[in-house]
Amino acid sequence: MTHKLSDGGQVLQVGTLARVEGEGGMHVAIRDGRVTDVQLRIYEPPRFYEGFLRGRAWTEPPDITARICGICPVAYQFSSCLAIEDACGVAVTDAIRTMRRLLYCGEWIESHALHVFLLHAPDFLGYDGAIEMAADHPQVVERGLRIKKVGNDLMTVVGGRSVHPVNVRVGGFYRMPTVVELRALRPALARALEDAVATVRLVSTFAFPEWDQPWTYLALRPEAGYPIEGGDVVTSAGAAWPVRAFTEHITEVHVAHSNALHARLDGQDSPYVVGPLARYTLNHDRLSPLAQDLAREAGLATTCRNPFRSIIVRAVELVYAIEEALRIVDGWADGAAPSVPVPARAGEGFGATEAPRGVLFHRYVLDDAGIITDAQIVPPTSQNQPSIEADLRVMAERWVDLSDHDLGHRCEHAIRNYDPCISCATHFLDLTVERS
Amino acid sequence: MSALVIGLGSPDRGDDGVGPVVAAEVGALRLADVRVLTHEDPTCLVELWAGADRVVVVDAVRSGAAPGTVHELDATAGVLADRAWARTGRGGTHAFGVAAAVELARALRRLPSRLVLVGVEGASFEPGAALSPAVVRAVRPAACAVARVLAPAEEASGVPR
Repeated sequence: MTHKLSDGGQVLQVGTLARVEGEGGMHVAIRDGRVTDVQLRIYEPPRFYEGFLRGRAWTEPPDITARICGICPVAYQFSSCLAIEDACGVAVTDAIRTMRRLLYCGEWIESHALHVFLLHAPDFLGYDGAIEMAADHPQVVERGLRIKKVGNDLMTVVGGRSVHPVNVRVGGFYRMPTVVELRALRPALARALEDAVATVRLVSTFAFPEWDQPWTYLALRPEAGYPIEGGDVVTSAGAAWPVRAFTEHITEVHVAHSNALHARLDGQDSPYVVGPLARYTLNHDRLSPLAQDLAREAGLATTCRNPFRSIIVRAVELVYAIEEALRIVDGWADGAAPSVPVPARAGEGFGATEAPRGVLFHRYVLDDAGIITDAQIVPPTSQNQPSIEADLRVMAERWVDLSDHDLGHRCEHAIRNYDPCISCATHFLDLTVERS
Repeated sequence: MSALVIGLGSPDRGDDGVGPVVAAEVGALRLADVRVLTHEDPTCLVELWAGADRVVVVDAVRSGAAPGTVHELDATAGVLADRAWARTGRGGTHAFGVAAAVELARALRRLPSRLVLVGVEGASFEPGAALSPAVVRAVRPAACAVARVLAPAEEASGVPR
């Protein structure tokens, strides 16, 4: 709601944001037609994951950190696996890397379908939410549910269940799915690909406010393919560094109005962005020919800096993830070892993967018995908080003459451009947990 | 007529895990022609109950009532309130809770002909915590509530309370 202040100023306060993961609010202060303050207030309680990982065994982070998020548990599992394997000096096989990519495709499909259809599309089509939208556009919502179900099925077959997979371990998997099991997914994947292609065409017809954000983009870039389950870090400023240099470049700071840490790149005050726009802009050349063609048809250039168009990029990434899943399913052969041994040793390890909403970084320090003595997790929404606030400053000022209701709605839309996962972002910083 | 019981919730989030526990209890009753399954994601409900005529979803509830209170709500009798049946008070995965899933299914005309929600008031939703004592005591009454809902009218009086 909006309050008029006695000195002529105005405060827009949205107590609880809808259609985002977790609990957060928004505070925008306006004075003389100028936005004087913007705060994305994340008041979901801190969750202390980094604290209670200390003292646990090196084999445990995939199962523990998967619990941070119900929508991107695979991201947590694989970023933690990479970090632990790095600390222990182990490299997994190509087959394991491929199966990780397949499971991760399932998560992207699930997460992007949920956001595009049920959370973000209502903003563009003028509905308060998916339920109201479903009454007028049932076929659109049904398409979204169909695509999402394929992601769920993929997660179930590869991960053991559709939420918080149980088949992932440090070093690989407990069991590899069989060719027969994977091939059974093919018809639904093929249908989902058609649905995803239609989705790109649908969302490209939405109306988008014109604005290109000037912030630095940061994404992973692997040796080959579009970044999903690994890669080195690249930025739109031309920097490139390995994941193990992450903490040299990214620092986390606490701000009073948020329970989630804010992240800074190379000490700069201006924000940086992770997620679909950054991935696309820094890896457009790595998309499949079909995904590139659809992006072009949808009006995207080889870079995209308009956060409102992130819904198109997510739809393009849906196409790519389904194509990748089909490619892996078709090429899979039985007989690969499900895991490699990861014997404990003392050391520090770093891992990063591309969660649906951006780079997710993990760092662990192990003692020689493999007990975790330090843990650090930098989730994508933490990194995007400053850019969300910076976008809101620009947008709120542009929309300052709108009614209270419309201004609030537009600002929420601007926040949802990032598909923020507040639950992921609030596991907070240095807290001492003593274990007896 | 096919009947289905869905225990919704995460076994690793304290009392949020009561849905699957109640579902297991219902499974142990071996009710004739009743399928029982568990899931964590409310957005899957519309797919899970496809083809079923009578459905009971069991979930944890945080409404302010005393922990262990068993709630019962006939979702096919009327529209659910916006924030009703929000799992762990947060509305489930990506703010899409049971009420949203039910209303979405209603809008898509994909509600079963009878859908009843059985909720158990939770006390704690801490990761890794066990069910709290009041919620453990509510498992049997909640399972009996499910059985009563699914029992044919003439047999309902014989269901243990």
